[in-house]
Amino acid sequence: MIDIKNLHIKIGDKKILNGVNLSLQKGKIHVLMGINGSGKSTLTKAIAGHFEIEVLDGEILYKGKNLLDLRAEERALEGVFLSFQNPTEIAGVNNAYFLRAALNAKEKHQGKKETNAAEFLKLMRAHIEQLGMSQDMIARSLNDGFSGGEKKRNEILQMEILQPDLILLDEIDSGLDIDALRSVAEGINRMKNEERTFLIITHYRRILDYIAPDFIHILQDGRIVKTGGLELVDTLESEGYEGIKKDI
Amino acid sequence: MSNLSLNNLDTKHPLYKRIELYGLPHSKTEQYRNFPIKAILAREYTFKKVQFAQMREGKKLLIENGEVVEYPKGVKILLDKTFNADEEHFDVLYFASHMLSKAVIYIEITENLKFEMQHIFNNQETLLSYRIAIRVKKNLKVEVFESFEMHGSENSFFLYGIDAMVEEDSTILWIRYENREDTEAMLVGAHKYSVAKQGALELKTFDYGSASSLHLYKIDLEDYAWLDAAHILLATKEAKRGNVIQANHNKPYAKSVQEARSILKDTATGIFDAKICVAKTAPYSNASQNSKAILLDEHAHMYAKPQLEIYIDELKASHGSTIGTLDEDALFYLSSRGIKQDDARRMLVLAFADNLIHTIKDKTYSKKILEAFEFLL
Repeated sequence: MIDIKNLHIKIGDKKILNGVNLSLQKGKIHVLMGINGSGKSTLTKAIAGHFEIEVLDGEILYKGKNLLDLRAEERALEGVFLSFQNPTEIAGVNNAYFLRAALNAKEKHQGKKETNAAEFLKLMRAHIEQLGMSQDMIARSLNDGFSGGEKKRNEILQMEILQPDLILLDEIDSGLDIDALRSVAEGINRMKNEERTFLIITHYRRILDYIAPDFIHILQDGRIVKTGGLELVDTLESEGYEGIKKDI
Repeated sequence: MSNLSLNNLDTKHPLYKRIELYGLPHSKTEQYRNFPIKAILAREYTFKKVQFAQMREGKKLLIENGEVVEYPKGVKILLDKTFNADEEHFDVLYFASHMLSKAVIYIEITENLKFEMQHIFNNQETLLSYRIAIRVKKNLKVEVFESFEMHGSENSFFLYGIDAMVEEDSTILWIRYENREDTEAMLVGAHKYSVAKQGALELKTFDYGSASSLHLYKIDLEDYAWLDAAHILLATKEAKRGNVIQANHNKPYAKSVQEARSILKDTATGIFDAKICVAKTAPYSNASQNSKAILLDEHAHMYAKPQLEIYIDELKASHGSTIGTLDEDALFYLSSRGIKQDDARRMLVLAFADNLIHTIKDKTYSKKILEAFEFLL
């Protein structure tokens, strides 16, 4: 589904990724773990086309294209979705207006009929209810004044409405209470199917108990150093990253 | 044809001394520093003044090339040759426009009223000057929507102004909507608003387009008087335009709020030069100013100068100013959801101005103002 080959990235003067090689399979949930500063968020930003990213070498092959040749919005229209660790607050941009614009852009790109305002409102209300969010999310400005939990649920709301193919979730579980975590995990599970790929960044096991990942990858010093199953998380839980290092 | 100089002005006019004292504005005059006043004053024009002809009673005040064509029903209107201009006004062109006009269009409002004021000017190489004085009697609510239609006024200069007197307990909402292009006349509006005890002035200005124009306001506030001002500026191409405002708190408990949002495209220059003066006689005043500007292009320029001049301790006051570009994180967030860069930019600029545009409650006006804004983005 997506092949990341020999990816070298720097942000500003700092080299962060030092030759990442990673294949993400269709229909699978991949989890990316690593110590702070190991390059996890940089990797998702590189896939999504963040403006700070400077590609030194490598390629990201997806649907027959090198994603690195595409602008951020083109990547999104090809089905890439990044859920941000700290979603940007944008005062004055209405949440519903923004999300409908995003959906219509995707529909237009796919040659489909654009969802009209009434249909969209119905769709948004249904998803908001499913996620246990307040209906006033419709009228509020995008992430503006949202609590941490509200922001994360709003990311999941966007994901469920936009129905992307490659989903990058950067610490979607951070700062969530138990109910919010369950709600977010349910959203992920609703989206899981044989065509869709997930790459989830997390520091903790608790979200993994809800979503049954297929692969765990460990990123260290800007490289993938180990790939395995949930047993890697058990090692991390008991021995920390030092335990992983011993096996490398 | 001749240019506007001291030679064209009546030396016996009571205001002449003021002009003689300061001289006509030039490129170093503070409030005109970023405005092409030198070129405007150097150009030669045919001079034109206000006149009353066959006026009809209707819904709006319509002034076409200086001729009052229509006036709103319910007002008293006359040409006043004895109107006393404010000799303490800070702007010399305020005096000049009074001197050139000789008589002002005087309107007295004695009932709650909502009307449009439309200036039509389509003469080339002409200096058109007139003034409008409006008195709102006590305890009334008045709304004015002022607009400009100036196609065909190439190489002309429109020098006009409002003298508005808001009496006790009255409120006036003044919406000035100026959407003009660079092929039209240069414009200077030199205004004076006085707001009496417990009166209110809601001043909402929308300056759009590539024309160059400058509005200079002196606003005097008495006891418990209130100024609520919002200014949206969307300047394009080589426009130099904006507002110079002096709000004077003259008596206790006066309140003023000024919010300005400026968006500059291409090589345009925006001007927000605003001063709030709180006199010794105005304790317990409340004054705030805020100017935010976005530069959409590398060579766009904003001149923002919010100032407070305070002579007392017992007051609340604040001011601030920011100038920047669009937030890259916000742009990326929108783009990461598949929204094109251009659409994302438009969305963010609209969001920047949206809350001030939506202070206009009249849906017809707010729609017009919003659509023109979106069109120019």
